[in-house]
Amino acid sequence: MTPAHVRHYAGAVILTILAVLAAVGPGAFGLSDGIVSPPYSKPAWLDSSIASKTILDVASDISSGNVGGTSGITWAYDAPSRVSIIGTITDGYLEWITPNGRYRLAEGAGELDLDARDIPFKKSLGIGPFENMARVLFPARGSYVLSLSGGGNVVMTIEGGRWGLLGTDHRGRDAAALFIRGIRISLIVGITATLIAALLGVSLGILSGYAGGFTDTVIMRSVDVLLSIPTLPILMVLSGIWGKGLWNLVVILSIFSWMGTARTVRAMTLTLRDAPWVEGLRALGAKRGYIIFRHLAPEAMPLLLANIALGVPGAILAEAGLSFLGLSDPRLPSWGRMLHEAHAYGAFTSGAWWTVLPAGIGISMICLIFMDIGRKLEERADPRLAGGAPGGIHLAFAPEPDTETSMERE
Amino acid sequence: MKPFLRRLGGCAAVMLAVLVLNFFLFRIMPGDPLTGIVDPRFSPEAKAQLAAQWGLDRPMSEQFFVYIKEMLSFRFGLSMMTGTPVWDELKNRVPNTVALLLPAMLLSAALGTALGMHAALHRGSRSEKLVMLGGAVSFSFPSFFVQLLLLMCFAYLWPIFPLRGTTSIPPPKGAAAVLDYLWHLALPLFSLVILGFGGFALYIRNMMVKALGEDYVLMARARGLPARRVIWNHAFRGILPPVLTILLLSLPGVVSGAVITETVFSMNGVGRFLLEATNSHDYPAAGAAFFLLALLTVGCNLLADVCYVLVDPRVRREGVRE
Amino acid sequence: MTDQGRSESFLSVENLSVTYVGRGREVRAVRNCSFSFRKGNMTGLVGESGSGKSSVLMAIPRLLPAGTRVTGSIVCGGEDLTAMSEQEINARRWRRMALVPQGAMNSFTPHLSIERHITEVLEHHLRASRAESRKKAAELIRSVGLEPDIMPRFPHELSGGQRQRAALAAATACDPDFLLADEPTTALDVITQKEVLDTLKRLTAERGMGLLLVTHDLPLAANVCETLLVMKDGEIVERGDSGRMVKNPEHPYTRALIGAIRDMESGRPS
Repeated sequence: MTPAHVRHYAGAVILTILAVLAAVGPGAFGLSDGIVSPPYSKPAWLDSSIASKTILDVASDISSGNVGGTSGITWAYDAPSRVSIIGTITDGYLEWITPNGRYRLAEGAGELDLDARDIPFKKSLGIGPFENMARVLFPARGSYVLSLSGGGNVVMTIEGGRWGLLGTDHRGRDAAALFIRGIRISLIVGITATLIAALLGVSLGILSGYAGGFTDTVIMRSVDVLLSIPTLPILMVLSGIWGKGLWNLVVILSIFSWMGTARTVRAMTLTLRDAPWVEGLRALGAKRGYIIFRHLAPEAMPLLLANIALGVPGAILAEAGLSFLGLSDPRLPSWGRMLHEAHAYGAFTSGAWWTVLPAGIGISMICLIFMDIGRKLEERADPRLAGGAPGGIHLAFAPEPDTETSMERE
Repeated sequence: MKPFLRRLGGCAAVMLAVLVLNFFLFRIMPGDPLTGIVDPRFSPEAKAQLAAQWGLDRPMSEQFFVYIKEMLSFRFGLSMMTGTPVWDELKNRVPNTVALLLPAMLLSAALGTALGMHAALHRGSRSEKLVMLGGAVSFSFPSFFVQLLLLMCFAYLWPIFPLRGTTSIPPPKGAAAVLDYLWHLALPLFSLVILGFGGFALYIRNMMVKALGEDYVLMARARGLPARRVIWNHAFRGILPPVLTILLLSLPGVVSGAVITETVFSMNGVGRFLLEATNSHDYPAAGAAFFLLALLTVGCNLLADVCYVLVDPRVRREGVRE
Repeated sequence: MTDQGRSESFLSVENLSVTYVGRGREVRAVRNCSFSFRKGNMTGLVGESGSGKSSVLMAIPRLLPAGTRVTGSIVCGGEDLTAMSEQEINARRWRRMALVPQGAMNSFTPHLSIERHITEVLEHHLRASRAESRKKAAELIRSVGLEPDIMPRFPHELSGGQRQRAALAAATACDPDFLLADEPTTALDVITQKEVLDTLKRLTAERGMGLLLVTHDLPLAANVCETLLVMKDGEIVERGDSGRMVKNPEHPYTRALIGAIRDMESGRPS
């Protein structure tokens, strides 16, 4: 593998990885879609001075002779943001032993469902209703013990400030899970919208080129009009009117992105319609449908494929843009939606870059990959473009090795 | 003059299409325009009264006539949220959007031209590769992502620019107001320039490379003209018409970008107005904002067309446009 | 350096070699060419396409593509052009030697009027005012047999013959010592060809310029020039008086060149 190979296949490899991720979903990595950690928890690898989620588990069974149990930790961090205790005590009490003293959290028998934010819980420990109880329960660094005397089964969850690979979003959902979910939306919307748009563009282009006359004029004028007005506002209004569902979005996007393909296909149809070899086929008695599907379509296919690949980034960006503006279904976690939520719910005032970077890089990367694929297909369809396609990164020019100067053309 | 008149006709046709599209856009939705905003518990009488207030009870043809009149007179009807004329709210926002987009376009065209020319004149150099890479990145990164990053870097981590808004609250008085306005404008403007220059730079570089290989450029050199003259008067002037065409084609995208930019930076412009109106189902307001954005596009289009005619003598003489 | 100290009115090329370099490939288009001619002389450089004749012509004003390797010396008016800085050679272009290009369509800048092409060089090289250069341009246009009313037109609005004449007018604008004409009549019909050649001949004689005429058409070159150089595969294979060469060619290649043209004119297959 030379560096050139790596560059050549990197896009395809990344795209395959993303597609597999999208197919298996975050569940395959044990990632949950629900709320897992406090809002804007940092990525776990980022800052080891912040506590990560800790669970203390105490169980004792009186019938088997145990009369209590303890579970202890050494706490070397600031007070956690949340503490909750869930479980049952059959007969006895639950104590929290801190370096500065001990608190009796519960006694008697019954179900426990305590959260350090609950006011009755605070009252029962003699803490003011607006005091931060987690700070009271974790007054200093040192060793802490959760001690259960009597029977029962108690789980104490100490929420940390860091989580997973990519931290959490404003609601405390795992950003890595959201990122993986987002791939699916981007790929589905980008590819299907472009395919539908291509279908529309090809049909209208062929119709325009073959029919000519009034039909041609109407279609081409519509192309001109649609190309010279800003489409994002229309998309916004349409998604506002038609609803924000995934397939609504796909339809709306495809309605406004067929124009380029229609133009190309029309031009191609016009050239091919009058090409001598097509005329020859006609003279041989070939029917129009046969000519179109057996000869024109294969001829036009490579360029069309390139066109589709080059159209995908536009659709992905449009989807991401609409989602970023908050005009997508809130139940569909897409990359644009992640950025929207980060922007709208204070990721900036919390400095939570991990909710911004992955989604943005994901969008950019997918767009670059599809542009790259499109350009390669384009070059294959028309080798003259190699090294000289306008725009993009494949633009390594070298001086032409012609043996004669341009003045000696005859 | 004839080609110009034809273009003027084309622009009028686009605006007419926008008007018609705008009218039907809000009337094709399921139910009636009021469903979105009216509480379902409203009595039928109250609904009827509201419908009458926005003229929705009249026949379609009459509604269309009233709508066209409202649009062309720039009153745009009454907002469904506030009940006040839409134009009263919009008119303060139009200058903000123009103040953002126009300099952004001019600056990105200027920067793109400078870098593209530099790259074309220094083929194979490291700076050319840098321009090409920067151009590709600028060209293909989603605008809101780049803007969010800028916001994060220069408004949060290193807060030299404001996080949001068009002016400070409360706005300062006198000369400070201008500075305050520019201070708020700087980051959005900068973001649009770094997002917009790439396409220009790549396009100009490619066109220029092609132009520099033309026989007429070689002949201009053969005439012993100074390099600067050959490059600008002969080669660059020759590629201006296609460059203007690209500028023309990019306009709708630039205006679309205003919605996103104004949202990211929470600016008080037409684009964000459109978003707010859409979110609150205020259709007359959304329609008016869309109409204004389309008008802005078509207006710039016309401006670019005038330049086109000035730049290409062949169009001036015969009205041919390649 | 044989011309050092001699008359300033010589253009002499010594041991000129031109090698094009590109994509790891090197092509030697011209090998050790030497020739010289004087102001007032008309010399034809004849060869088929690919023989390197245009490379010789473009090497003189140093207009070969960047990166091309050129060795040998080109002395014009007592100065070695190959040793000059780009600025020095640029000041001599169009004053010492002017190009009459082939296919004058692409040699005019499409968006500039014919007049502007001429006034531009006058203003730059002769420091003429706008009004003076306009007057001079009108004279030049008349001197090549065109009407001054074509001056505000753009290149694409002229016929091929008119463009070629306009190119001649532009080339003679600064009274250069030498005209370097590259297939000046290739794209024209026979009658226009003759008219343009006659004009070229007349102007060269009237102003006492030197002419280097590059063409693939040996009889045509013989018709215009006193001296002929025949090039093949980058080398000069025969040189001498044009009358003698047409009557009695020595090199088989020269014979073939003459034959080819005759065959073409008589319509026989060669």
